[in-house]
Amino acid sequence: MYEGIRSPAVHMPKTLNDLISASSRFPNATFWAGGTFIMSRNNYYPTRKSKDIISLNEIPELKRINRTDRYLEMGCMVTFEQMLTVGKQVLPGLLQMTLEQTATMIIRRQMTLGGAICTPGVRIALSGTLAALQAEVEIKTSLGTKTETQWIEIERIYNKQGVLQLKKNDLVTRIRVGFERETFSSFLIAGNPMINPEETVMLSFACSYNQSVISRFRMCLTFPTILFLIPLEIDLMMHGTTLPLTSQQIKRVVQSIMEEVQVIATDAVLPIQLERARRFTESTLHELNAQSLSER
Amino acid sequence: MKITCTIDNKHILLNVNSNKPLNLILMEDVEKNQTYTRCRDGNCGNCVVLLNEEAVLSCLIPAFRLKGVRILTFEGYQKSRFWHDLERAYNDTGSHPCPHCFASKTLIFESLLQMIIKSEAGPSQDEEPDNEVIVHEIGLNTCACLDAQEIIAIFKSAATYRRRRRVRRY
Repeated sequence: MYEGIRSPAVHMPKTLNDLISASSRFPNATFWAGGTFIMSRNNYYPTRKSKDIISLNEIPELKRINRTDRYLEMGCMVTFEQMLTVGKQVLPGLLQMTLEQTATMIIRRQMTLGGAICTPGVRIALSGTLAALQAEVEIKTSLGTKTETQWIEIERIYNKQGVLQLKKNDLVTRIRVGFERETFSSFLIAGNPMINPEETVMLSFACSYNQSVISRFRMCLTFPTILFLIPLEIDLMMHGTTLPLTSQQIKRVVQSIMEEVQVIATDAVLPIQLERARRFTESTLHELNAQSLSER
Repeated sequence: MKITCTIDNKHILLNVNSNKPLNLILMEDVEKNQTYTRCRDGNCGNCVVLLNEEAVLSCLIPAFRLKGVRILTFEGYQKSRFWHDLERAYNDTGSHPCPHCFASKTLIFESLLQMIIKSEAGPSQDEEPDNEVIVHEIGLNTCACLDAQEIIAIFKSAATYRRRRRVRRY
């Protein structure tokens, strides 16, 4: 049954330097984090196209969670379930909501942060939430004998369709989120990005306001295979606006987002996704209004 | 790739492809008939096994991750004393998972019961999963043979037996 199928070579680097040298020696190898995405593809096994594997599981630096004065730093091999044990005082509420609503505990024990943000064709909820929280990722680029390290905002590693824009010699090693807490956050998901990505919609929203004046308004709308939208002009438009929002303002925000969705996703978007996105945006803004009014 | 691991308390040397999923290894190389999947991609939840005492979907574990691990399939689990808690819970409540998902759901229940043991051993005492979590976790197996009330009743009954077992031990 499996005649002619090659057993791929598995490289298990023990340090980051080993990893970088392995990635330059085996440029076509697949980086293996938790494996939940790779192994859940229909054509995973048996296949004649299996590539060599670089397993990231043995590198202790990638499994650490650090707390500094300004940031919570997480290695890319930290699992979702480990993140949930960090505690509510440290973990942003929006991130906690997202992790809890992703899969079940049994799968969360295996899913890693790095794997979740680097899936090639499908964006799951974590990317949107980290973008709403203005998280940054550490990218290590191997340049022959040298290695370049830089921190960049997470939305810069995707294009507007959510396709990963990293080069072959780029490695995501850590993720960091600031300790600045949002006053209101919301995470909504309909559908399952792994089972029916063409119908799934996810919305992550973080907003900060002081005495009813909005100082930060950050929304990320994700359709797993066709859209990764952070409407920055709405962020600018809402900055300094007083809460509660009027029905006219809500209507304008929703309309502007829907127009942008249709421009980016064109014909690929299904009516059910559009409807879900519209309702998610509307209900989130109404909830924001309700919270701001209840604090008066 | 040669791998040594323990399957149902037996040391086994496997010679398999490094990326072969554990569920296929169990079915084809070890011939454990109770671990079978219908979906092949982690969606049916029928291939749960215990890996180092933690429940995992065996279709999401590649062969190269199996070096030195302890795997317990439902067949091996039935020989452990913990099985009797769930067996009695099924009999007490009169609800059983159907034959297709019996093995998998039982092992998911077991992983939830282990949360109680861990929480009682540690400093916090309130880590028993709430009803919503129990139903959500069992939902990993997509077979709809048990409703939410039955799932909760089975878990509560098994949890009572498991706690008694701990009390007797001390």
